[in-house]
Amino acid sequence: MTGWERALLVGDNPFHGISHLSQERSRIRGDTPTSPEYAAKLVSIAAENGANGFMFSVSGITLSILKILNESGVIKHLDLYGIVPYAYEYVRLASQRGSLPGLAKTFAKEILFSGNLRAAFLGLNGVVWAEPLSLMKAYLDYEISRIKSAAGRNTHLSCALLHQLVTDACLGFNLDWLFKAYVDFMLDKGIKPGFNTGNFAFLINKFREWRINLKDVIIAAPFNKVGFQMVPSREDCETALMCLPKPNVLAISVLAAGYLKPEEAIDYIAGLPNIKGIAVGVSKEKHAYETFKLLREKLL
Amino acid sequence: MEGEKLKVAIVGFGKMGILHAGILNVLPEVKLVAICEKSGLIRRFLKKLFKNVLVVDDVGELSDFGLDAVHVTTPISSHFAVAKSVYDLRVASNVFVEKPLASNYDEARELCDLALRFGGVNMVGYMRRFSVTFRKARDLLNQKVIGEPVSFSAYAFSSDFFGIDENSKIRTPKVGVLRDLGCHAIDLALWFFGDFKVNDAKIDSLFGGDSEDSVFFEVETQSGVSGKFNVSWCVDKYRMPEVGFTVEGSKGVIRVNDDELELSLNCGERFRWFRHDLRDDVGFWLGAPEYYREDECFVKSLIDRKNPEPNFSVVRKLT
Repeated sequence: MTGWERALLVGDNPFHGISHLSQERSRIRGDTPTSPEYAAKLVSIAAENGANGFMFSVSGITLSILKILNESGVIKHLDLYGIVPYAYEYVRLASQRGSLPGLAKTFAKEILFSGNLRAAFLGLNGVVWAEPLSLMKAYLDYEISRIKSAAGRNTHLSCALLHQLVTDACLGFNLDWLFKAYVDFMLDKGIKPGFNTGNFAFLINKFREWRINLKDVIIAAPFNKVGFQMVPSREDCETALMCLPKPNVLAISVLAAGYLKPEEAIDYIAGLPNIKGIAVGVSKEKHAYETFKLLREKLL
Repeated sequence: MEGEKLKVAIVGFGKMGILHAGILNVLPEVKLVAICEKSGLIRRFLKKLFKNVLVVDDVGELSDFGLDAVHVTTPISSHFAVAKSVYDLRVASNVFVEKPLASNYDEARELCDLALRFGGVNMVGYMRRFSVTFRKARDLLNQKVIGEPVSFSAYAFSSDFFGIDENSKIRTPKVGVLRDLGCHAIDLALWFFGDFKVNDAKIDSLFGGDSEDSVFFEVETQSGVSGKFNVSWCVDKYRMPEVGFTVEGSKGVIRVNDDELELSLNCGERFRWFRHDLRDDVGFWLGAPEYYREDECFVKSLIDRKNPEPNFSVVRKLT
């Protein structure tokens, strides 16, 4: 592949206060960009220095960031990679509502009152007939409309990735037909179907077994020099990566959550085959500038 | 069981049920054969989602399936009734119950008696015992690297109900923060230091009622180590629930939480380990690596016919 095809994405983990290295250190440093305005500024700085996309979970915070990026015009220079659902928020809501049915009611109300008639119809149909596929389509329609509403109708959503928790739960349950339906639904919409997974090697094996065309999808998975979160092992993930038919993997957790220095982390990624791109979160203006400048130098 | 997969059922298909079912289903020795769920709406979806899994609404309906084990992942208030039914109705003699075992000590003791009578393998889901950081901390304590422990302070915090006030429609669960979240810290303290008695306790409610939302209490172990616990589910910036300990010993201090471990010795040496440094590898990652190790341990115990830890008897005082 030529370097120009690589996706250099700004990740949104810091904007949600996520640190996979140490939540305590993140709190002590106070390095969570608390305002969408500041987060949007970081994305803009990253874009000026080589970032060509934004990877985000669909949440109130990231929708606000998209709106600001749309107003400033920066969004025209970015490919959008949306992760759905924002599982953390739904787990938190389930805790507050006490159960999944409680969460389902809250969620159904959201869709019904969203004004998205297609999503409302599909959702109603899904609940009445207990049709998982209708419900999934209703939900995806709803999330896509939220992204477009914030980012601007003319903005192109390059890829919609299923959140890691959902992807990996569905993998655990062998729900091949659900994966296939998701792929078909997204391809029909002209959006690249994606999967965020913590079980890269397992997913590749399963997709082959289920005859899901790996050329049609994008997979976001941890890849880093120390094998952090590479399940079941770095070697297994590297072997699975080598066997892919084309570069369709977005490397995440590249810095192993801040454990690795950017230079050594990027050198490792640069030596891997079939990497379509890389997503890195930034929490300070200096980080945004330096990290993406380095990524551009090493990967483009 | 030999030569065949272990047949396992899940009772309660909430977030913990989904997590355990997903992990169990990928373990090569296990087959998820049934799900019992009270909600009619969820049941209707499950029947469409899982073609080869029996979906029922009552534990009794699982009696005739020759189950090797049952995972009880219902709300805490029903752990006792469900686990008791599993034994009484001869559904299975091997039982895993999510933490805590029951709502009170009497119920926990009755479940211990039932487990003893039926003679199967039993386990309670205190998954932090399978965390690499807490395991390393326990190893260091057992090796007396910080000498004899003198005191400890523990916390268990989450932001699940942060920012919610009496005007909100949301109410905190009746089960209280101590049983829901604090029990992890108490279990780890028992694992680290052995039995202790509570000397003083203070409970706060968000709404001025009888909800138990923040708890502080002081303890003393049998060997004279003094301890303090601070538990709350309404603390800002704890996006994920977090448990942590600071243990002071005669030769140094250990600080440990879900992410990292720091050892400071009086001689001036300092060491730090993150998950990255502690071989946090698993065969399948769903939720957190701890859950996989926990389920793997339970399954291995089924095959070996040996009770794992933490089992009912070990944690019954934790209710």
